[in-house]
Amino acid sequence: MNKALLGGGLAVLARAEEPQKPHLEWTGAAVSLLGSPSPDGRWLSFMDPATGALSLHDLKGGPDRVIAERPPQSREFAYFSTFDRSGDAVAYAWSNASGFYELRMVGSAGGAVRILFKNEQVGFVQPCAFTPGNKQILTLLFRRDNTSQIALVPVDGGAPRVLRSLNWVYPKRMDVSPDGRWLVYDNLTEEGSADRGLFLLSMDGAKERRISGLPRNSLFPLWSADGRAVYFTGDDGGAQRIYRVGVVDGVAAQEPGAVSEPMGRLLLMGMGGGRLFFGVRTGAPDIFIASLHGEVKRVNSQWSGRNTVPAFSADGRALAYLSRRGAENFGQQARSIVVNVDGKEREIDPKMAHVERLAWSPDGGHLLVAGSDGKGRSGLFLVRVSDGATTPLVAAHDGPFRGYEAVWSVDGKRIYLIRGDSELVEYTLAGTQEKVLLKAAGLRRLAISPDGATLAVSMGDVAIRLTPLQGDAPARIVSFPGLTDLAWGRQLLAGRRAEIWTVPLDGAAATRLLSHPERQPGMSTAPDGRTAFYGGVERNAVFSLRVP
Amino acid sequence: MRYMLVVLGLAAHAQPVVIPLGLDAYMPVPESNPLTAEKIALGKKIFFDKRVSADGTIACATCHQPAYGFTDNVPRAVGIRGQVGPRRSPRITNRGYGRSFFWDGRAATLEDQVTQPISNPLEMDSTPADAARRLGISQALLRDALASYVRSLTSGNSRYDRYLAGDSGVLRAEEKLGLKLFTGKAGCSSCHVGPNLTDEKFHNTGAGKLPDEGRAAVTGRVADRGAFKTPSLRDVAHTPPFLHDGSMTTLDEVIRFYDEGGRPNAQLDPEIRKLHLSDAEKAALKAFLFTLEADK
Repeated sequence: MNKALLGGGLAVLARAEEPQKPHLEWTGAAVSLLGSPSPDGRWLSFMDPATGALSLHDLKGGPDRVIAERPPQSREFAYFSTFDRSGDAVAYAWSNASGFYELRMVGSAGGAVRILFKNEQVGFVQPCAFTPGNKQILTLLFRRDNTSQIALVPVDGGAPRVLRSLNWVYPKRMDVSPDGRWLVYDNLTEEGSADRGLFLLSMDGAKERRISGLPRNSLFPLWSADGRAVYFTGDDGGAQRIYRVGVVDGVAAQEPGAVSEPMGRLLLMGMGGGRLFFGVRTGAPDIFIASLHGEVKRVNSQWSGRNTVPAFSADGRALAYLSRRGAENFGQQARSIVVNVDGKEREIDPKMAHVERLAWSPDGGHLLVAGSDGKGRSGLFLVRVSDGATTPLVAAHDGPFRGYEAVWSVDGKRIYLIRGDSELVEYTLAGTQEKVLLKAAGLRRLAISPDGATLAVSMGDVAIRLTPLQGDAPARIVSFPGLTDLAWGRQLLAGRRAEIWTVPLDGAAATRLLSHPERQPGMSTAPDGRTAFYGGVERNAVFSLRVP
Repeated sequence: MRYMLVVLGLAAHAQPVVIPLGLDAYMPVPESNPLTAEKIALGKKIFFDKRVSADGTIACATCHQPAYGFTDNVPRAVGIRGQVGPRRSPRITNRGYGRSFFWDGRAATLEDQVTQPISNPLEMDSTPADAARRLGISQALLRDALASYVRSLTSGNSRYDRYLAGDSGVLRAEEKLGLKLFTGKAGCSSCHVGPNLTDEKFHNTGAGKLPDEGRAAVTGRVADRGAFKTPSLRDVAHTPPFLHDGSMTTLDEVIRFYDEGGRPNAQLDPEIRKLHLSDAEKAALKAFLFTLEADK
């Protein structure tokens, strides 16, 4: 027992329970991990990925129940949700028609929906827990200025009360103690660190304390039903486990102890019926390289099972890809850029909050990276390969979080990008001038011919538009139903889910090059004809542990 | 008059500072100097007491006047014997949330900050020991009481705060456009961020007309030359002149300065670039800045 953890004069709590075998509650394609269990453990709230509706899953095996539907033809959808303490209502985030999230509440049997908080300057909300008596909802607010805030939103209307403002890295989970005196949240242990710890904040905002002595990367804290401990996940040098630490009056009163075996990528969802519910993510994406003839080999990597979105350099010597870091993440998934030259991997750490796609500059000195930075700008950034120095290129505070699909011109003087699924834009680096080349609906994927004379642009998921960049030749449309992605090397390649096809430019029939199970959109070709892609599907499952 | 600290025995969790809408309920307070109503009251008396200066002519409130949002209305601070300092008197509301103090961040805590003007020969030209002796209290109490009082000075519940809290009708269309520009095209929130509209960091914008090393005088780093701490923008529209040396007298000048990309220099912060704002957008930005006035 670490006596340093004991509060002055406090009795030591019982030893942490022994690691248990978890019980599988729910598995399948429909499982999402954005909800919470009802207090009696009978229901699990979730966002139905097929319909966007807020639904309840019956853990006793009955039919699921839709409690907040999406309007027909709309792009709205439910997101995070949490039951109130009586099980009679659910608070949830709702992505509205204007494209930002609002906090809503609905009865657990459905019925009238109430909007509790809505503000376009607060683009994202995450309800985490109700206070005792169900008077307020502990909610994460994420503002347009990139500030995240821990707030209490009154259930009966009124202004949110902000307890604590943090920077753009927001807590993964927060919870209110059963006596309503403390909340617990996870956050970076210090600015610039990648490590997360747990913090206790009194509900009046007067005191804040960090719980010391925890495993690395402590996340997703939840109070025990009796309020005498906090459960959380940690990854002390390996896969994540669930831990428990005793807490009395805002002070850690017991060494943390593991209550589960290492289980991969975990996130805690809530307490219900004497059980702790948690989600597990499975799936291990890797990079594969196909030869000109379709033979496929997996790329060896020290970060195997975490790698996605490959990009060959113009000379084909280097392969860059994104590689997930840290434990479970929602939204702000931590990703590093890996450059692999002749099998030797090197990490680049761009000064960005989120990275989504990569494209090499023709001279190999920079990567064009789509994503967003810690200042709240989104779009395209230039990342110097030698040291990771990062410069916003086509980035703005109101740009898309995931940036833009983009390719370089062969001479490295211009960039072509797709903006808003509707504009093909030529961006000249010297002078930062923009020219719209094409306006059309459904523009998503982009590739450039090796001679730099033609752009291939996807038109929805049904066709490829070949757009000449020089001369007066008209654009041509090549039909390709089921199109998911594009690349252009020795030949024009088009993806159709698991398959990669070669597409002749003379209008002849496309030929299937390969089919690889669980291939995902996003591929790149080298001058010698090798094609890199990634495969691996993430799936979710919900488990529970019986807890005291 | 000799000051005495009377402890009234507040409940352990009583909050002696009322936090207005828009600010965090949590304010970091050192365990060695817990906030009490008594210390705040004592600190307020000291704040207005000119005996802290060597010749009894300057109080903290001489430069930090409540009527001017706890700054003053002159470009640069005027201290003892009419001496003019190198920089503008900063607003000191919401400094309880600060992470470093003074324009160059040379003080790490409020407790460290509050006694430095007493020692500064351009400001009060005394010592904390002499000032405390003249007030009849200990140096420690002088320091802790002043720091506590400064923590009690808050600015919030502005129309901007009420808008963020969900009152969508409290801002006019032009002000809403200004807010959108503030967090969007104009990029102001790259530095003026969070509840207090400051990142508490140091940036070289090229602003200022006098030679001043800024943050570099503290760190010794060339990269910090001419960098000053981002000021809060709360109550900004009503507290001219502006910038660290008070060299601009109107918000129009300030907005124009940033629209043009600041003043180029070797240490110019990469966040400072030409904004290409239209006249209407500049007007909207200015209108938004007026929404940051605290509800008195």
